[in-house]
Amino acid sequence: MLRRLTFGPSPASVAEINSLGSLRWLEDQLNPAVIDDHVCAGYLARYPRLAWTIQSTRAHLSNGAWDLMEDLGEATLLRATWSRRQLFEVMVEFWSNHLNVTNPSSDVWDNRHDYDANVIRKYTFGKFSDMLWASANHPAMMRYLNNADSTPPDFNENYGRELLELHTVGVDGGYTEVDMRNSALIMSGYGVHDPWPSDANTGIFEYIPDNHYVGPVTVMGFSSPNATAAGGYAVGKAYLSYLATHPSTAKRIADKLITRFISDDPRPALSARLAATYLAHGTAIVPVLRQLFTSREFQYAVGHKVRRPLEDLIASLRTLGITPDPGTGTDGIQALWWESDNLGQQPMAWALPNGYPDTAPDWQSTNGTLERWNIHMALAGQWWPVQASPPMLQAPPLASFLPSPLPANYGTFVDLMAERLVYQKLGPDARAAVLAFMGQAATDPVASNDAYVSWRFPYLIALILDSVYHTMR
Amino acid sequence: MRRETPSDRRPGNQPCGCPGHGAGSAGNDLARRGFNRRAFLKRSAVVAGATALTGRGLATQLAFASTPTYTGDVLIVLSFRGGFDGLSVVVPRNDPDFIALRPNIRVPDSLMLPTGDVRFGLHPAMAPLLPMWTAGTFGAVHAVGQVNPTRSHFEATQELEKAAPGSTLRTGWLDRMLGDRGAGTAFQACEVGGSPVSPGFAGPAPVLGMYDIDGFTLSGSDGTDLAQWAAALTGINAVAPTTVQAPVATTLGALATIHSLGTVDAYTPANGAVYDENSDLSKALRDVARLIKANIGLQAVAVDYDDWDMHAGLADKSLDPTTGWMHDQVTEFSNALATFFTDLGPTLTGSTSLITLSEFGRRVEENGSYGLDHGHGNAVLILGGGIVGGQVHGNWLGLSDAVLDDGDVPATTDYRNLLGELLLKRCGATSVTNVFPGLSYTATGIAH
Repeated sequence: MLRRLTFGPSPASVAEINSLGSLRWLEDQLNPAVIDDHVCAGYLARYPRLAWTIQSTRAHLSNGAWDLMEDLGEATLLRATWSRRQLFEVMVEFWSNHLNVTNPSSDVWDNRHDYDANVIRKYTFGKFSDMLWASANHPAMMRYLNNADSTPPDFNENYGRELLELHTVGVDGGYTEVDMRNSALIMSGYGVHDPWPSDANTGIFEYIPDNHYVGPVTVMGFSSPNATAAGGYAVGKAYLSYLATHPSTAKRIADKLITRFISDDPRPALSARLAATYLAHGTAIVPVLRQLFTSREFQYAVGHKVRRPLEDLIASLRTLGITPDPGTGTDGIQALWWESDNLGQQPMAWALPNGYPDTAPDWQSTNGTLERWNIHMALAGQWWPVQASPPMLQAPPLASFLPSPLPANYGTFVDLMAERLVYQKLGPDARAAVLAFMGQAATDPVASNDAYVSWRFPYLIALILDSVYHTMR
Repeated sequence: MRRETPSDRRPGNQPCGCPGHGAGSAGNDLARRGFNRRAFLKRSAVVAGATALTGRGLATQLAFASTPTYTGDVLIVLSFRGGFDGLSVVVPRNDPDFIALRPNIRVPDSLMLPTGDVRFGLHPAMAPLLPMWTAGTFGAVHAVGQVNPTRSHFEATQELEKAAPGSTLRTGWLDRMLGDRGAGTAFQACEVGGSPVSPGFAGPAPVLGMYDIDGFTLSGSDGTDLAQWAAALTGINAVAPTTVQAPVATTLGALATIHSLGTVDAYTPANGAVYDENSDLSKALRDVARLIKANIGLQAVAVDYDDWDMHAGLADKSLDPTTGWMHDQVTEFSNALATFFTDLGPTLTGSTSLITLSEFGRRVEENGSYGLDHGHGNAVLILGGGIVGGQVHGNWLGLSDAVLDDGDVPATTDYRNLLGELLLKRCGATSVTNVFPGLSYTATGIAH
């Protein structure tokens, strides 16, 4: 459960779930307010600007500044790595991709952090209908998908299309090109208060009646006379409510959750059960998650998913016990954020509106593979960014990873190291490969001055993290 | 499709969605830093071997064939990101409309290099490439663009690399090209310096990536123990699914191949070519030349050369193209390309085709800041032994008010026809239907 509902087990989280029992642990995770998270909150306090409103951001920073988008990217990585409310952070990642607004991108420089707080995080464990409605009322989404540019007579169809294709019913959800056009017409007028020449006190959401298309509209089973410009906002609200509760939306979200937590392959029976729960609970997400995580399908689907690069990086940090610097610095976290870009999965940075892909074939990158191996080596050896001056991150002494007392032979040594780092024993092929790499037989005795117990110990740690037992979750 | 919006047309310092085009200098610097975030990372990270510097937004991507049976040209796509002003490079000559719309920042007729076409001259900084023009291995196409114009960098770049307007495809044309060829796994596709999944390569074809050749090394290995690592990395992934095993095998194969190439210090360019160590583009093309000469089945390369978003300060002085931003950019790429083809020599040039692409051209009329805002139709440069050079191809209608599309050069040639022609005539493709769905292909005559 820890492998799949968190960004990776740590020794502390393993102890915690063993003490609470998995059901109690799950209920706590679904009700994150009960989990003490002051350590993470302390780290987060290093990013005070994230509390700024859109207006104060525009008042404090020059137009187009990337500062807050960088803060947000780093804070997101920070929370995913060190928050104890792990399932919440996993679901934040899920919804951030579902309603993707690329971060960083210039058009949302002033509001992307606000979107994260007041659209994604606010409703991560709430109702999807509320999150969808909040996203349509946020300048980040309105700018990102050009709805703020949708003006008569050339209405921009970008948001109207993605609303159907990506946010709700899906490309096979049963709509036509005419429906798509009507979707754009319904949402016209939803925009941003952003007069030109601009001043600091703008950039918030505004419904602009002059930009709204007036006249009858129909999308699938939704229709409205849409008779007045002033009434367009309410038509949009009713339309979004229709979409959020559409059976195709329910199925799509169920399928995406299955892809996230169980397998790249569809599970139609489970999907139907989850979709029914989603609709029965008025699009509330927690009942769906509870049903998913207590399902038989979930129980039997351990190790089916390949960790994506960001998950691999964070799982490595967590199992190696790496934490931010002891002061108030952010350099180390920033370095990890850049590294996540090198790995190809900087948080929320996917350039397309569809969010990062979540199936293994999309991530068969050689560059990603090599970068993964290299960052394992750098972190295991505590070369970077731990061993900077002053240290950008903290790590426990390498010797603390050694079994104590040292085991009698190399076979047991490999077993214990695998249990410590990847929380399971290696299969026979992998165990033999690790032993061969060290040039040892399973029965060879371990001495404290042996290379792989001293100066080459980090190479052993890195190699175990390179294994399929760390790559899969 | 998005048309002109107020934010596209704001003069001066208003935001246009262009990184680096913020208001104050602080915002400007931050935006630039963000745009070049990979280069910044490489300066800050000291991961042994993983982080050789490519710098300044330059990215190279390579595709290799799995077997040596591919006999077509190596296709090099040089992406001029940011919105390249083709009118500054393949310049209208003796054109009163152009003179009226660009009183200050055009290349004056007196300073143009001759093209043999009375309608056009070349930017004077392209002198290093003039011998190729004369020899017929360098040419241009004018008024090229996308069928659905958008003046947004983001959208235009995505559409350019997707190359399937109106479709719901989210794969890139390079990926579809590789998929169509059925090329295998090892060395099928590779990137240098770019993000692991670039839009052009986005899709199911496995991608081999690296920042540069010499930087593609395994931390913890000095190269001599690669076999020991390879055995271990293979063994510990023995029970992994193919989605994990395939890139493991490709990565290990690439590490071994690249190790066998030796480092760049051991590389001696041919024919007296001297790559500019201060030019990232020049160094990236040196890597491409090394791979071509290594004869390991390179099929396609994508190189990014950005910093074309010249909203202000394209030139330093009125009617003087010999200094300033545009001059520096044209000088760098002209020198780099001339060096590269010199190094390749006639035989390898004969099996290399290079084409430049940019997400859009720029407005014909200059703005009040000695700059140019976003436009549409553009010039494309083509180089290689098999291209029909020494001339300006395309359907050029002039720059009169009646011709201009919203103030921009109209796109009379769909850029996909140019790529399609290179794929069909030079790169062994028998059809471009799958690569460019919906395209009604017409040859422009740019290739033999």
